[in-house]
Amino acid sequence: MPVDRPTFSESWYRVADIRPRLRSTVQVFRQHFRGRMWHVVRDPGSNQFFRLNESAYRFVALLDGRRTVAEVWRICNDQLGDATPTQGEAIQLLGQLYTANLLQAEISPDTQGLFKRYQKRVGREVKGYMTNLLFARIPLLDPDGILDRWVGILGTIFTWAGLICWSTLIIVGVYFLIGRIDDLVAQNQNVLDPGNLPLLYLSLVLVKVIHEFGHSFACKKLGRQAGGGEVHTMGVMFLVFMPLPYMDASSAWAFRSKWHRVIVGTGGMFVELGTAAVAAIVWANVAEGTVSAIAYNCMFIASVSTLLFNVNPLLRYDGYYILSDLLEIPNLAQRSRTYLQYLVKRYVWAVRKAQCPAHTSGERVWFVFYGIASTLYRIFILVVILLFLSDRLPEQLKVIAVGLAIVSAVLWLCVPVGKFIRYLITNNELARVRARAVVTTVIFLGGAFLALGAWPAPDHFRAEGVVEPVSLALIHAKTDGYVANFLPTETAVAPGGPALINSVPDSVQERQDLWGQLNGELVARRIALIAENRQLQARRRWAMDQGRHSMVQGLSVQMQAKSEQVRRVETDLANLSIHAPLKGTWICPNVEEIKGRFLHRGEAIGMVATLDDLIIRATAGQKIGAALIDLRNRQMKIPLEIRVRGRSVPAFPGTIRRILPAGQEQLPSAALGYSAGGPMAIRADDPKGLTAAQKFFEIRITPQPQAATGHGAEAIRLLPGQRVMMRFEAPAKPLLAQWWRGLKQLLQRKR
Amino acid sequence: MRQTPPDASGRGADEVPGVTWRMLAQRTSGWELPKGLDATWNTAVGLAHRLVPRRRRLMRQAKGVLAWDKHFSQLTDSRLGEQARETRDLLRLGRETRGDLLRAFALVREVAARKVGTKPFEVQVAGAMAIEAGCVAEMATGEGKTLTATMPATVAGWRGRGCHVITVNDYLAKRDAEWMGQVYRFCGLSVAHIQQEMPPHQRRLAYQADITYCTNKEVTADFLRDRLAMGRLRGLPSTLLARIAEGAPSGTDRFVQRGLQVAIVDEADSVLIDEGVTPLIISGQAPNPEQVEAFQRAAAVAAQLQADTHYRVQHKYREVDLTGAGKSRLAELTAQWGGIWTGPRRREELISQALTARELFLQDKQYVIQDGKVVIVDDFTGRLMPDREWRDGLHQAVTAKEELEIEPSKDTYARLSFQRFFRLYRTLSGMTGTAVEATSEFWQIYRLPVVVIPTNRPCIRKHLPDRIFVCEQAKWNAVAVEIQRIHQTGQPILVGTRSVRASEILSEILAQRGLEHQVLNALRHAQEAQIVAQAGQRDRITVATNMAGRGTDIKLGRGIAEMGGLHVLATERHESGRIDRQLYGRSGRQGDPGIARAIISLQDELPNRYATRISGALRKRFGNADREVSSGLTRRIFDIAQRHAERTALRQRKGVLSTDDWLDEYLGFAGKGR
Repeated sequence: MPVDRPTFSESWYRVADIRPRLRSTVQVFRQHFRGRMWHVVRDPGSNQFFRLNESAYRFVALLDGRRTVAEVWRICNDQLGDATPTQGEAIQLLGQLYTANLLQAEISPDTQGLFKRYQKRVGREVKGYMTNLLFARIPLLDPDGILDRWVGILGTIFTWAGLICWSTLIIVGVYFLIGRIDDLVAQNQNVLDPGNLPLLYLSLVLVKVIHEFGHSFACKKLGRQAGGGEVHTMGVMFLVFMPLPYMDASSAWAFRSKWHRVIVGTGGMFVELGTAAVAAIVWANVAEGTVSAIAYNCMFIASVSTLLFNVNPLLRYDGYYILSDLLEIPNLAQRSRTYLQYLVKRYVWAVRKAQCPAHTSGERVWFVFYGIASTLYRIFILVVILLFLSDRLPEQLKVIAVGLAIVSAVLWLCVPVGKFIRYLITNNELARVRARAVVTTVIFLGGAFLALGAWPAPDHFRAEGVVEPVSLALIHAKTDGYVANFLPTETAVAPGGPALINSVPDSVQERQDLWGQLNGELVARRIALIAENRQLQARRRWAMDQGRHSMVQGLSVQMQAKSEQVRRVETDLANLSIHAPLKGTWICPNVEEIKGRFLHRGEAIGMVATLDDLIIRATAGQKIGAALIDLRNRQMKIPLEIRVRGRSVPAFPGTIRRILPAGQEQLPSAALGYSAGGPMAIRADDPKGLTAAQKFFEIRITPQPQAATGHGAEAIRLLPGQRVMMRFEAPAKPLLAQWWRGLKQLLQRKR
Repeated sequence: MRQTPPDASGRGADEVPGVTWRMLAQRTSGWELPKGLDATWNTAVGLAHRLVPRRRRLMRQAKGVLAWDKHFSQLTDSRLGEQARETRDLLRLGRETRGDLLRAFALVREVAARKVGTKPFEVQVAGAMAIEAGCVAEMATGEGKTLTATMPATVAGWRGRGCHVITVNDYLAKRDAEWMGQVYRFCGLSVAHIQQEMPPHQRRLAYQADITYCTNKEVTADFLRDRLAMGRLRGLPSTLLARIAEGAPSGTDRFVQRGLQVAIVDEADSVLIDEGVTPLIISGQAPNPEQVEAFQRAAAVAAQLQADTHYRVQHKYREVDLTGAGKSRLAELTAQWGGIWTGPRRREELISQALTARELFLQDKQYVIQDGKVVIVDDFTGRLMPDREWRDGLHQAVTAKEELEIEPSKDTYARLSFQRFFRLYRTLSGMTGTAVEATSEFWQIYRLPVVVIPTNRPCIRKHLPDRIFVCEQAKWNAVAVEIQRIHQTGQPILVGTRSVRASEILSEILAQRGLEHQVLNALRHAQEAQIVAQAGQRDRITVATNMAGRGTDIKLGRGIAEMGGLHVLATERHESGRIDRQLYGRSGRQGDPGIARAIISLQDELPNRYATRISGALRKRFGNADREVSSGLTRRIFDIAQRHAERTALRQRKGVLSTDDWLDEYLGFAGKGR
């Protein structure tokens, strides 16, 4: 039939004579959305909800167990005219109410059907867990009683007085934080240290428990005022395999006022921020220790989780529900998707009878906006999680990341694509525009495929490295002694130039004085030795005169030994001034501090390095190394960009000098290791943090900082030991090829 | 038929034990159609089933049955009867072995030979074994399906739970029941048949018989009436409890049936597939003068609207769309009327319907007028369907268009499609002349494998390649020329047409050429059997719609076989290859010679609807030239279109079934299976 909503249905006879009614336990709440009245029907037993529009509710409300469905339909027709649900719609409505266990009729229930529905529901739930592995929920206990006992006291948080207290708390917290803002920032860097993780997790659980109770108490409190508000489920949610508490305050959906619903939605964040404020006060006033650390972590989590997750309406957390309540668009996410589908059907495929899911025109904008944003965001988040897992999980557990990737590929890609193809081929809705639908889809996909598969996109690899001089000499103290004089650090030096550490003053007078003061012992010894030598000389002369030749010979030997001793002392004295062994820059960062200090022999002082001739030693995993070697083998130039970490100076180029093949294990610097915040995982059994867990490639690069342009280019100074990021520019390659390579490597790496 | 006088107290129903239980515990819906991967698996299993060498196995078993021939033919009648009783006891206990089954078949075969005079051939026995195994046996026309059915029916009767043999019409039910009755009675079984006009108590007696011949319509209607009688309030547990506690009568005495156990469906493809989704409706009159007036007014308003300005007709989808101008014009025209004309939705719905009736439902094509009533012509078979009605008030709209007296739409009490009904049987099997094309459908919907039983004598019918023309006019000319050419030889010709209208067109053309011919279409229903029976005579030209007289043999006149037998001309290909084969199968039966050929055009409905683009493009290329374009390519188009049509139909029938399943699930509160 060409009619969109045929009035009559041939199945009508099946319901016409029955006298059904809503179950007596069913609760009905009135709500307004965008100026339209809706009724929410709730089954308190199963906490199932059902939203009815005005005419549908009129129809359902008239069913009182005495009138037959046919009578009610006739009454509706008289009263509502065209707005009456059609027979088909009425049947569907009754069926849905029935399957939601909201309807009873005068006939004995179909027990078999009841069990079947139950099994189906359980099956759906299990399927829900399986498809939502990253966000699985396991209900554990019913907290309603506990909440009831405490809501009298704790519910006061959600009153005006509570709000004032909360605001005060926040202000005080912020005040203390501002006072210690430096420490706050400084400590920030340690929060993700492996050592801090258990504490962080503990704090997370703590904060989340408080958060969930915030929702629950808000729900209870407002439920006391307006009716409803039950919280019967508390359990554990596995957010990306991390167990966290959750509570089900969804009975708040039935609240009549949207502000009440919003309060329940914000309740969690409200108490969470309050907790953060308390934590801030504690942290600011407690000496360092476990308490301080927990307080800091709580603060960190409360703020980060609020900003990143809870406020964000694109994820299905608090922000989403608050937004949908504020916009008065229930089911925002799902209806956005339906609306986008509708747009495609209506305007791209020209399906004539496409049903628009929007009730009012104002909703449409939101649907479009939200639909697109949330889809993109969802994909983004999934990719990020997967990449994170594949990067950071220990090698033995990487199979999880691969498994997850496969599961999500199946669930998020294969299943929807399969369904879509099936829809394209078989759906009746498309019967007459199928060719158009298929062609546009093929064109779109083909276009996307072509764009991704043929359009070369810039391709980069990133690697991290440390700056090192090409040649360097470490300077050690060659002998014990006090430092008298030194060259300031970063002075250009050369062999034969001035001494780096100078303990030998220039003028003789000073020499005498200083020797006396500083190296008196040595000087004294020398003088003593020289004196002894003279004495021996005198005795020898005397012996020669006497002709006692044997004695002369003995004294000669003794003199020789003494001279030797004197020479040694003199060498020691000479060694007190150290000269540069090669041309370069003298680097001794804390040279100021060693003045006048006593240096033991062999103690490291600083180094002389060729600062104008620096090299970067970068480490790269298998995939980058292999790709780079491949590019070099093909005689390709690999432009690369170097950025100094932690400094906002422009990037500058460099050239690859050598790539040392895989097999390296010893990191050039501990700074590149995971424990120091670097990109390389290190072996747990290496206390120095220098042995990489995986063999890697080493890439040696000559930087050219002088080639940098732009603001601040002249300020670039590379210093040995600095960490730099390198971006290698591989020849542009279509994105598809890049992804394919990435996927292959991801899978190969797992073997 | 057993002649027990009807019991005044109505307790007769309990003569067959377990009726209460069987009726109340009757499943009300068949197994669910599998979904998703299960469906794929099921299809795969269906495909795998085709690989099972059933035919060879059945032929081997048939040989086993024939081996008993010597043994039984030597027995006296009384000894044979005794053996029959022994076999019955064995089967009723359910302790038979495969060997016993073969022996039982051989026994029935011998009884048939003695009582009816024909001894089933080996292929018939094989067909019987296929039915016993729960398959659809494809047996060519004239191979003696009626006799074949007696063997499995007797075995089922012996098992004691009743067996329904489903025929396509009352006449065949009566004929077969009486013809084969002697066989059954000799075997110690009662046999009965159902006729449309039978009163309930007679029906009850008939269903109590061991073997009941009935039509699909009657058996389904009786089932529905029983369900209605059962009411919604009574379930099996409450009935049984009431019976134990109060000794109250179970109420099952109102039932006419005694549960659905075994069904052997004759013309299985027609009943189970072509008519599968046709719902059988139990309804009552509901006088509704307002509605009648509304339909009349709608017809009047529709007459005032102009095509293309006010509405557009979409022939491809059989729809009429109102344009914006049409909607405002409609609002103007109906402004003075209140009631259902005030709201746009109901108003436009009514008018769309009236326009659909006007533009897309044509007299003599979709319906004919008989005794002041609109009677539907079945699109598939070309037969009149006097007790069918279009739904959604369309029937009333067509009646209003023809300015006939409108019968208000009826109140439906119960409704069931044959598809759903036959899925309720515990054991379903069937036989037909054409089934292979529907193998996957038989499997997917009924879990019935199809077995092709070879013919007794090899088929020597010649099937000439299709001749294809660009336009319809050229086709009709070619048909006329061909008829004339063949007619000169004296060979009888049977021309198959798709619609009543086509048969009338052809009749006119033939009359112009001075060719004497007989027309057999829905309008001349009454003379059907007579005309068909004579179609095999010398010099005969018979023009018939699709399946006119299905089930009736065309016997060749004297000397016709030497001329080459009956020449069948098809003037259109049908949506299903089965229907084509049914027509071709009219000639060359039982080893007779025969010729079959189709003369078709690219303008025919089949390529037009199911291969729109290709056939359109070809038509454009060839121009409207009056020429023959027969080639491998053009023939291929028809095959593609036919396959497409078959697939579409299967999908649609499965859709109907799953919609019904959905309704059952969702309307659980309304009671199941109505």
